[in-house]
Amino acid sequence: MAQVPPTILPRRPWRLIMASVLALAIAGLIAAVLWSILAAAREGGGASRVDIFHLLRMTALQAGLTMVLSLVVGLALAWSLNRLRFWGRDLVVALFSSAIVTPGMVVAFGILTVFGRNGWINRASQALFGWAPESPAYGLGGILLAHVILDGAFAARVLLARLDAIAPDRLKVGQSLGLSATKRFVLIDWPAMRGTLPGLGAIIFLLAFTSFPIVLLLGGGPANQTLEVAIYSAVRLDFDLLGAVRLALTQMAVCALVIMVASAVNPIAAAPGRSNAARWADGGWARVAQALILCLGTIGFALPLVSVLIDGLGSGLARVLGQGAFWQAAATSLWVGGTSALVTLLLALAVATGRAAVAGRLPRILLGLPAYAYLAVPAVVLSLGFFLLVRALGLRPADAAAPVVILGNSLLSLPFALATLGPPLEAIVRRRGKLIRSLGLDGWQQFWQIEYPLLGRDIGLMLALAFCFSLGDLGVIALFGTQDFQTLPLMMFRALGAYRNNDAAAIAALLLVGTIVAFAALPWLFERIAHASRR
Amino acid sequence: MVSFASKALAVVTLGLLTVSALAQDKPTLTVYTYDGFAADWGPGPKLKEGFEAQCGCTLNWVAADSSIGTLRRVQLEGDTTEADLIVGLDQSIAGEARTTGLFAEHGLDLGGLALPETWSDAEFVPFDYSHFAFMYHSDTMAEPPRSFEDLIALPDDVKIAIQDPRSATPGLGLLLWVKAAYGDRAEEIWKGLKPHILTVTREWSESYSLFLEGEADMVLSYTTSPAYHIVEEDDDTIKAALFDEGHYPQIEVAGVLKSSPHQDLARQFLTYLTSAEAQAIIPTTNWMFPVVDLGDGLDPAFAGLPQPDKTLSLPEEDIVAHSADWIAEMLAAIQ
Amino acid sequence: MLRADDLRFAYPGQRQGYDFSFTAEPGEITAVSGSSGSGKSTLLDLLAGFARPQSGALTLDGASLLPLPPERRPVSLLLQSDNLFDHISAAENVALGLPSGTSRTERDAAVARALAEVGLEGVGPQRASTLSGGQKQRVALARTLLRSRPVLLLDEPFSALDDETRETVRALIARLTAQQGWHTVLVSHHIDDIAAVAQRHYRLVDGRLLPS
Repeated sequence: MAQVPPTILPRRPWRLIMASVLALAIAGLIAAVLWSILAAAREGGGASRVDIFHLLRMTALQAGLTMVLSLVVGLALAWSLNRLRFWGRDLVVALFSSAIVTPGMVVAFGILTVFGRNGWINRASQALFGWAPESPAYGLGGILLAHVILDGAFAARVLLARLDAIAPDRLKVGQSLGLSATKRFVLIDWPAMRGTLPGLGAIIFLLAFTSFPIVLLLGGGPANQTLEVAIYSAVRLDFDLLGAVRLALTQMAVCALVIMVASAVNPIAAAPGRSNAARWADGGWARVAQALILCLGTIGFALPLVSVLIDGLGSGLARVLGQGAFWQAAATSLWVGGTSALVTLLLALAVATGRAAVAGRLPRILLGLPAYAYLAVPAVVLSLGFFLLVRALGLRPADAAAPVVILGNSLLSLPFALATLGPPLEAIVRRRGKLIRSLGLDGWQQFWQIEYPLLGRDIGLMLALAFCFSLGDLGVIALFGTQDFQTLPLMMFRALGAYRNNDAAAIAALLLVGTIVAFAALPWLFERIAHASRR
Repeated sequence: MVSFASKALAVVTLGLLTVSALAQDKPTLTVYTYDGFAADWGPGPKLKEGFEAQCGCTLNWVAADSSIGTLRRVQLEGDTTEADLIVGLDQSIAGEARTTGLFAEHGLDLGGLALPETWSDAEFVPFDYSHFAFMYHSDTMAEPPRSFEDLIALPDDVKIAIQDPRSATPGLGLLLWVKAAYGDRAEEIWKGLKPHILTVTREWSESYSLFLEGEADMVLSYTTSPAYHIVEEDDDTIKAALFDEGHYPQIEVAGVLKSSPHQDLARQFLTYLTSAEAQAIIPTTNWMFPVVDLGDGLDPAFAGLPQPDKTLSLPEEDIVAHSADWIAEMLAAIQ
Repeated sequence: MLRADDLRFAYPGQRQGYDFSFTAEPGEITAVSGSSGSGKSTLLDLLAGFARPQSGALTLDGASLLPLPPERRPVSLLLQSDNLFDHISAAENVALGLPSGTSRTERDAAVARALAEVGLEGVGPQRASTLSGGQKQRVALARTLLRSRPVLLLDEPFSALDDETRETVRALIARLTAQQGWHTVLVSHHIDDIAAVAQRHYRLVDGRLLPS
């Protein structure tokens, strides 16, 4: 699209400085992590036996396919959900949103419960026809299935927000013109969504590229492994730190390429806010297609999650609820998740408002790159680097566990937050930049009077995302000595490691319920708060 | 806000001062272990209670995410480590741990221990063991395989779940098991197993869940795994398949670090760990066999478990020198 | 003749609803004025089919419009802004007024004629986003010409335009209304606009339309 003339953009030196400082700080942190590992590598590592090119090729293929499929599925689902109104729609949307933030292993086992060799589908087929198809849940197909369920649902949620925000007048004109379903998609929907696609695609690519437990669980063997596995092995088994840093840099270089391509594309203005136009349903084949897509989507996406809920309501539930450790872990999760979400919000606003304030292509890339790059750093390298950094600072690892988890989770959620808040912030500046300039609003007024009220729902969505995400990943404190620091996901994994599958299933179900509640409640709540603040 | 923060800070500071003041009265023994060992339901809390009752000290568990994690942490910390001991390495990584030169000799007499093989290690003290084995559901699999070759000969739709030797201890154990039993034929065995391998997971827990969910027909685990289901779930249908070529064991060990200022206390802990009192805690918390003969004190669920006739082993030097090659060989064979 | 009889509508929770009755003749501009918030947009939504009345009748030449969904109503719409799709050309925007399946040559000719009619020869290939406010309104009018629906609803169509352009567009609408026999309903709070072009004028007060 056409570059915005810089004269439209309000001058915001402070936003630029904030975003630059943050981008530098994140880049510095990544550099420090790698440097600390290099410094700890005492001798030159053993010759790495890893066939990097093979791994890179396989990983890139898998991640590329995941990205394309997830975007297509996400588009189709968002399109269907935008058009259809039915009882329980909000719940379906919340369920879709929760897929990406639920710990990947939980979703993967949910998928197996439905699609596995001994899953519902195979058992139903066995009972009805006396024959069961080959399970699609293993091999490259299985990896793609799991990734698309996780990431396609996320894409659908983000794209649906863009569709729901289309200006009512636009819809009135379109409906009055009697646009066909195809024309409507091309003229109204596509322009509203396409600005979001590059950033979304990049995130999905990175997630798939660095995916580890799911790839091993469903991959069926070493043929489908990712570079991340080799890095884990170099750090943990071989203790070949030089080799690990070398592999990590390779992974980061590939990911950086993808991020750069994605951030070079200027997002298209997509108006924020909600649409309250009258219902405009498509007719004929489109409606049938939408109903079909939604049915398939619900089977594919919701059933695995529903199966997690059903499994969790078994015998383990009462026992888990009766444990003091459970409530303690729940409290820890709440404050860790809540704090991480707030930190993520501040970081995301600083970076996104700064990026929206510049017109040039290069500054935009530079401001965004470090935030996304963090996703590309292998988890095991991060955990090692943070451990060494904390020790270098003279802190006891056990004392530093909570702040490190909060920082790590915030940085991990940051790309998602940027993908959620970035496009609407850009849209506001582009559409109302002239007005803001002519009124002489300062940055503070611009935020509180214009951006914040319009962003309420997006901020809620972002907070829900960051909150739930932060419940999930504890890999960064693997070495910290954290037997007293227990969150719900950690408690779940520990239960799994001690034969206690029923307890683990109950915790997984409770986590999922909490996630769905967060996704249903937070966007609604923040829309209310943001609008109330204007009265 | 500000006043809340400063009050909170004051409370925390005061709390820390009190804790450190109390702590100075008696010595603290810091033990690194893996998180399952220190968990509420693991042996950690009871061992702490038992040892503190006799040592006049404080025992402090510090749990990393895995046993190899504890070793890596100590290696990274070097002489500045807080750890006095590590509990939870096994004989497959003991060789590598030894080459770090960080461990002191324990000086204990281990002659009275009841292990599948005699133990004469100067640095590492065993505290529990079990053999690696494949689990099966006895109500759906009437005739379990009696060897790797039996397993290979089963129809291809009989699937096993195993673990990656690069990320999970049992995965490494299986690799060494095949090598110890078949030597140069190991590659052939792996190629034969390939069609049966449903998947190679990162952790033991993921494989085991696949087995419990009915996704995999057999899973790589321990001969003691059935005891959990008998004791906690009253279910005796899950059994370990015994192989004629013998089984490779996992022997979990503890070691004292040279850098520890509490050498005597640490040795006292090792003595306690191998005493009948402490060993009685291990079976139903860590689900492994004790290393002393508990006689009637052993839970009947354990006493009734079938045991392999033959225990396999590999020279430590070979493991240190060749495990990377063996892993590469295995990965290539099942790729 | 476009005729509304006691067209009643109330938003959920609204105590006093609307009750609209009026007539609009072909070839004439019927204006509706009222302060902001008085319900002008609601009236247009009812006429265009975006809102459904709770009771009453709406007929064009005796045939009821109420059962028809927005896209099937004999109605064209011109809003204050957002009438065009920014990322396609002016000509493509105009062509949206033609029934699908129109042949390419036929389409090009019709679009060119319509653009000429509104005084915009040659802007066809330009992207809609590059047009001025007045040009955009005229392109939208050209599209309306091709659709040839007997009712044209105008929602503050001049308010974004400068005085000179305003006069041009105003005159254009008056001319096309007379020439095409449209029933044009103009909603505006600018008395000048109404005085300049409307043959008939209602004021919207307390949810009702009063002739003036």
